[in-house]
Amino acid sequence: MRHECRLLYFWFKMSAGPYNYSYIFKYIIIGDMGVGKSCLLHQFTEKKFMADCPHTIGVEFGTRIIEVAGQKIKLQIWDTAGQERFRAVTRSYYRGAAGALMVYDITRRSTYNHLSSWLTDARNLTNPNTVIFLIGNKADLDAQRDVTYDEAKQFAEENGLMFVEASAKTGENVEEAFLETAKKIYQNIQDGSLDLNAAESGVQHKPTQPGRTNLSNDSQTNRDNCSC
Amino acid sequence: MELTPHVQEKLHAGHKLTAVVEAGLVQDFIKNTRVVALIEVASTNVKQGGEQALLIFLTARVPVHSAIDLSIEQVLPVDTNLKCEIDTSSLDVDTDVLVNITSGKVRLLFEMPFSQRTNAFVSEILRAAEVVSKRRGPPPEFAWLQPYQKSSTPSQDPASPGSAPTTAETLDGLGGDAVSLGDVSVDISQNLPSTYPDPANCNTENSSVHTENERSPDLGVNRHSIATGLSPTPIAARESHIRYQMAMREDAYTDIQEFTVFVGTWNVNGRSPTVGLAEWLAVDAEPPDVYAIGFQELDLNTEAFLFNNSPKEQEWLNAVLNGIHPKTKYRKVRLVRLVGMMLIVLVQEKHLAYVRNCAIDTVGTGIMNKMGNKGAVSVRLDLHNTSICFVNAHLAAHQEELERRNEDHDCIFQRTCFHLNITSNSPPKTIKDHEHIYFLGDMNYRINPCDMNIREVASSGEFKLLLQHEQLSQQKNAKRIFHKFKEGNILFKPTFKYDVDSDEWDSSEKARQPAWCDRILWYGDSITQLEYRSHPQLQISDHKPVSAIFMAGIKVVDTRRYRRIYEEVMKKLDKLENEFLPQVTIDTTEIILEPVKFYQSQTKYLTIANTGQVPVQFEFIKKLNDVSYCKPWLTIRPYSNFITPGEKCDVSLEVLVDKQTAAQLNSGVDQLYDILVLHLEGGKDLFITITGDYERSCFGSSINALVHMNKPFRDVPVAKLIDLESKQPKELSEMPYAVPKELWYLVDHLHSHGLQVKGLFTHPGLQKEIFEIRTCLDEGVEHQVLPGSVHSVAEALLLFIEALPEPVIPYSLYQAALDATPNFSLCKEVINKLLDYHRNVFEYLMAFLKELLNHTEDNNLDANTLAHVFGSVLIREPSAMAGSSDRRNQNQAIERKKQTFVHHFLMND
Repeated sequence: MRHECRLLYFWFKMSAGPYNYSYIFKYIIIGDMGVGKSCLLHQFTEKKFMADCPHTIGVEFGTRIIEVAGQKIKLQIWDTAGQERFRAVTRSYYRGAAGALMVYDITRRSTYNHLSSWLTDARNLTNPNTVIFLIGNKADLDAQRDVTYDEAKQFAEENGLMFVEASAKTGENVEEAFLETAKKIYQNIQDGSLDLNAAESGVQHKPTQPGRTNLSNDSQTNRDNCSC
Repeated sequence: MELTPHVQEKLHAGHKLTAVVEAGLVQDFIKNTRVVALIEVASTNVKQGGEQALLIFLTARVPVHSAIDLSIEQVLPVDTNLKCEIDTSSLDVDTDVLVNITSGKVRLLFEMPFSQRTNAFVSEILRAAEVVSKRRGPPPEFAWLQPYQKSSTPSQDPASPGSAPTTAETLDGLGGDAVSLGDVSVDISQNLPSTYPDPANCNTENSSVHTENERSPDLGVNRHSIATGLSPTPIAARESHIRYQMAMREDAYTDIQEFTVFVGTWNVNGRSPTVGLAEWLAVDAEPPDVYAIGFQELDLNTEAFLFNNSPKEQEWLNAVLNGIHPKTKYRKVRLVRLVGMMLIVLVQEKHLAYVRNCAIDTVGTGIMNKMGNKGAVSVRLDLHNTSICFVNAHLAAHQEELERRNEDHDCIFQRTCFHLNITSNSPPKTIKDHEHIYFLGDMNYRINPCDMNIREVASSGEFKLLLQHEQLSQQKNAKRIFHKFKEGNILFKPTFKYDVDSDEWDSSEKARQPAWCDRILWYGDSITQLEYRSHPQLQISDHKPVSAIFMAGIKVVDTRRYRRIYEEVMKKLDKLENEFLPQVTIDTTEIILEPVKFYQSQTKYLTIANTGQVPVQFEFIKKLNDVSYCKPWLTIRPYSNFITPGEKCDVSLEVLVDKQTAAQLNSGVDQLYDILVLHLEGGKDLFITITGDYERSCFGSSINALVHMNKPFRDVPVAKLIDLESKQPKELSEMPYAVPKELWYLVDHLHSHGLQVKGLFTHPGLQKEIFEIRTCLDEGVEHQVLPGSVHSVAEALLLFIEALPEPVIPYSLYQAALDATPNFSLCKEVINKLLDYHRNVFEYLMAFLKELLNHTEDNNLDANTLAHVFGSVLIREPSAMAGSSDRRNQNQAIERKKQTFVHHFLMND
């Protein structure tokens, strides 16, 4: 057990180590199943397109350090399962997100039609300053386009969202979407509209451990003591 | 763990172990254990006495148990190339010290524990390096290290019994088929330059630079070491690594651009600049990019000597600024002066933006080894990406003071130290830490007496003969001074000593012999000397000024490529970081249960395999607003655990619908469906869906619902079951039973077969039979016969009563019932408050129990036992209170009250 503790300690050291970054921003990626959320994350963190990406059953976690206005910022990105049956569970992950990337597939209108429902969740479950960025993915499949740029652009404007069409396959605009979101969050911090002290700002000013999340406020009920 | 004896065993006869430490060799983000030993040749060997070297051992296991665990990976001689620095930039890592050891192109970063041993070890290396730097005579050849280097081949030195089996053993251990130690270090050969740099031959090193770069550490992860699981410790020094990686890739983002560097030196003999200096500084057609102009004996006044201020400084600076090339504009980078020695560095205005990290230092080697009448003044700077150092020296004078000059030279190299304030986290730099070094000044080396008339030959222009007797060249050729420095061919007359304002040799009494006192040497690749000359036209001093023009290849950063490579490095580090996130695979994300029956447990298994590179701590966590991480009918064991890389953990998922959970499933409030969230500490979450069908049963159904079912439970449609269980059922039977028929079957069976059975209600039944009874009751009892023994039927009866969602004495009357126990009539009042069917059930059961007591002689039952058994199932506390009263004696008091309550009805009435 001592050995295990030591290893854990090292792991902690690495994950919370003295990296020179000033902020941690938490992002979530949401949207229908199969719109390419995980591929966007993969493209952003690894600069590679993941063909045959399996459906995410759970919440993937990725991280990357970026620079905004000379400040190093660590992005902690939570990529959520898109399947409807997990919707109730993935709602647990919205809280404390500084940025939400809401993704649809330009070749499947249904994924676009569901945006208002995703947007409702994002608005209800995050704080008012959370930057919501709309991404129309699969821009490389222009021939199969089912949603026009203008239509989505208008939707974004009506709802006050930032918007690009991107391609996780070619990498087009992927970097931009993640970075523009960070810039906007950073700007919100600079002009004071995002209160870092608020528990759910999604921004940490000091490096801490990434993944520790209890999905609910209550402390863990230890069911091992439950006798039947 | 004591390493010393094991390492000692690896050494050859006559070699002494000075210090040893276990350290983590950091390659990218991976730390691998190494044993680093400082060894020394025994001092009895006079020729090689005091030579030291570092041996770096691979470790087959940690901790090291014997010499067999150690195999030599690297041999680094402690020579002038070896540097050992503590990386001060990451001192905030509280437990470990980062130690950089470099030798030529070999750069190793070790993480050492913050301990006495580490401290001692590093001190020993620093001391050894200092000894080397002060060493006189030709550089050592380190021939004694050859056996260690040879130990990387199977042809072993027979004198080393320890090494041969070691190599073989390690090879076997890895299952390698290679014939050399090279296999042991599969990763090392890719990741580490293992070339042993020959300190004596700078050309060899230069020519090998390229290949070494190709073999230099890359970001590739040392997967082998991860797989073996020998403490694959990711470390924290990311910033340090970025710097390191960028330095390793410098060639990829820099271009060599040619810069002309003008270096001039003049001993001005205390004179003022009464003449223009253009004849010295601006004789070339094109203006140089950089000027480094050194003066000696600028001011011979005592004032200057003692207080180091001199009006001459400004006079000569002005003269320089007026004398430099008029074709372009220059800006002063630095001016440094110590008494009479002054060095001015200028660059063309357009280059100023690319000059960084300027620093100066002065070293006095005069009286008491600190006065500034002799010594050196130096300026260092980074021009684009090339570090440059200019040293203006004035060494000891006089023909016979050769050794003092040599000592001054040593002293300047040892003591000159630049502190870079701007980036305080980089260690101080010495002269030798620079890529380009220009050493200029009045070196004062003379021409040794010979059978020539020095003056005549010096005037004739036949310098070749004379130069053979020239002290500086002799000392340099003997490798006593200016090791690895170069000097151009001297094609000019000796620059010392002239009568002032003339070109005549010294006509004074002293009649000093002519000498090439004023010299310019350089060190560094990619520097070509274009000119090396004197300027005899300037006659105001007893020395003539000397100048040299160099074509220097400066590494200019291509911003675009730099950015790209920087991002590449960052990206790779990010990638590594992501790879170091905990990763697991699970054998399934969908668990489908076979039909689940009441009280019959079912267990499924989930295998969690740690497929990542770090240990994983997993835990099933709660979803938003849930009180627990899974539904109450599910038990996960273990719900949290630790898995090391490559290991697996089986998790059991036991589903049991019992008396507490059946009612919810019966009424449709709950379903056999749950999404479990498997959280990896510091990483992702996985969802596991568990689904199944629950076969509803009369067990767990309510009295009120059951009395309205006049056909077997199984034949009642689910919708009707749910309706009947709701608060206000729409469809009630017109002819409800007085008590549930299932209860009647159970009691009737016992009445018929159990009245005389000993131990009824105290002897346990069989689970299998209870399941059969349950199925029989649900599917319809034929011929009023239940399967199984009476004991099983008795237990089924208790289970049936206990599983009622609303107890016979309803939760609302729980407290009233307990309060009524002192008095039978109060108890009867509670019963009168019961709704019809509940009262029926209660009275029906009491009547049955009384009947049982009529057969006490046969069944040995007594009222107390029956009251206790039935009290606990008829009267149940609301679940909200169950948690709060968990103290044992309180529970006992409650149990006693329940017993008393029932006891009243058995004895009275």
